[in-house]
Amino acid sequence: MNLTKEQKDMLIGKEGRGPRMAMDFFCKMGEAQGASRMVEISRVHLMPPDLMFCPYGKQGIWNQELINELLKDVKRFKVPTTIEPKFLNFEVAKELGFPESTVKEIKEIQGSAIERYESMGTIPTYSALPFLIFPGRFGEHISVAESIAILWYNTIFGSRCERDDGFTSLCAAITGCVPEVGVHIPKNRHGEVVVKLKDDLNVERLAPADYDALGYAASVRVKEKRPVFVGLPSHMRLTQLKHFLATIAVECGLDLMHIVGLTPEAPTLEAALGGKEPLKEITVGKKEVEQAYETACTADNLQVDYVLLGCPHLTFPELRDVAETLKGKKVDRNVKLIAVTTRFYREAAEEMGYEQIIKDAGGILTDSMCIAFAGSHLKNCTIATESIKGAFFFSGFSPKSRRKVWFGDIKDCVKSAITGQWEGGCAK
Amino acid sequence: MKVIKGKTVSKQGEVEGEALVTDNLIAFWGATDWETGEIVEVAHPLRGRNIKDKVLVFPAGKGGAGDTFGYYYLYRNGKAPKALVCNRPQPTTVAGALLCNTPMVYGFRENVIDLIANGDIVKVDSNAGTVEVIPRRNRRLSK
Repeated sequence: MNLTKEQKDMLIGKEGRGPRMAMDFFCKMGEAQGASRMVEISRVHLMPPDLMFCPYGKQGIWNQELINELLKDVKRFKVPTTIEPKFLNFEVAKELGFPESTVKEIKEIQGSAIERYESMGTIPTYSALPFLIFPGRFGEHISVAESIAILWYNTIFGSRCERDDGFTSLCAAITGCVPEVGVHIPKNRHGEVVVKLKDDLNVERLAPADYDALGYAASVRVKEKRPVFVGLPSHMRLTQLKHFLATIAVECGLDLMHIVGLTPEAPTLEAALGGKEPLKEITVGKKEVEQAYETACTADNLQVDYVLLGCPHLTFPELRDVAETLKGKKVDRNVKLIAVTTRFYREAAEEMGYEQIIKDAGGILTDSMCIAFAGSHLKNCTIATESIKGAFFFSGFSPKSRRKVWFGDIKDCVKSAITGQWEGGCAK
Repeated sequence: MKVIKGKTVSKQGEVEGEALVTDNLIAFWGATDWETGEIVEVAHPLRGRNIKDKVLVFPAGKGGAGDTFGYYYLYRNGKAPKALVCNRPQPTTVAGALLCNTPMVYGFRENVIDLIANGDIVKVDSNAGTVEVIPRRNRRLSK
């Protein structure tokens, strides 16, 4: 590995134990993937495990042990940092069924994480949508840990970041660099599989949730190969893109994709493929999209217990949809509705009167937390949600939890909160 | 005996174990139960199977950027696979393997899913970056 003098000094421990551990890990990551040097980065979006990954119980202690070691002798990060949502916003702890003793543990571990990162200069974004607050530049090398944000920075802005995680994003912030591998290298950025749409799919009329389903239908067919989408409207909206990319990021584990006519590295299909022949070409249509809805809906009971919205965080148009659907109505007394967004959007929603409308209807608007992880502590219940990424987590983690999920359009989810019955499609 | 050569993530010696093979991608955070090692993802063909002590053979990792910690929790609970064998080195999988000292070999000339069958006994040599399928008739001879 060819390291600069500063990087070498970190590796031999001249800056202390944490920087040595971080640089050593990056040398191993780089060697594992054939890198010969590091690339300097301009900033990092952090996903600290002590903030986000169930910070209580034994795993809370494991995280603290690991992170205390990594942050030893680190007083300041080398580049500016933003940060993922917290595990839990305590204003909804009771609604999500956390016992008092667990809340106490979370307060301690998550609380000391907040204090630690903020004291090191981290910008307190607590957002799953950092790209809306801090857009990327074309060709800018960065480190990002949040699957949709990684895919967004690469695909929509043409910035360069690998699938960094809770550990590697901290290593990046400590060292100011990442191994030069994967999509940091231009020749690795081309698309591999062409995805076309069948005529029976009216792309001008796809709702955001349809983009989850379309993303899922494409993902299970392209798997780990970078797709190039042909035939999507170049005027796709931000909320549609959020739904589309969030699903593909989780279901393909990809850092980069292309949409011809929309994303910067895909002015044409040929350019997106780098002049090469695609490995294969697939088509998805109405049938595949309907199958995706059916797969995501694991519920069999029409009665809905929870409506959990905001994985990833709700955009402003989605908050408006929630408020407009709830206006003058009441959430059923057997249902809890929790909508989650980023703090900036919540403040805007408050100003627009949306938060009051949601409150008056008996719903809850909260911010800066991860509803997918915190919501996955509920047991024996039926959850309605507007995203397949959310459905992936809610129906996962443990077979004993018996959480069942309805997935559909955000307005249908909110209507379900009002009637107490699933109001969306694919009811079995 | 069939030996295939790939690249290694780190030199962790040799392990032998039963292959659990899928041509679907695998996620750990949310898609496995870190208390038991069971795959719980609803639409996954391996749903209900346990990855503990298996040689897990799959195209690549998927999931959220938290996936590394799904793997880390499995490992801390003693439920991690013995080795990981993939086509592509998805970074959260590589980071998980490195954090937990799991042997991981990837990047073969052929699609590795076509070369190993479910239940095969395979030897993963992470120093050499090779995977060897032990033919059934020789199983008794090899340890």
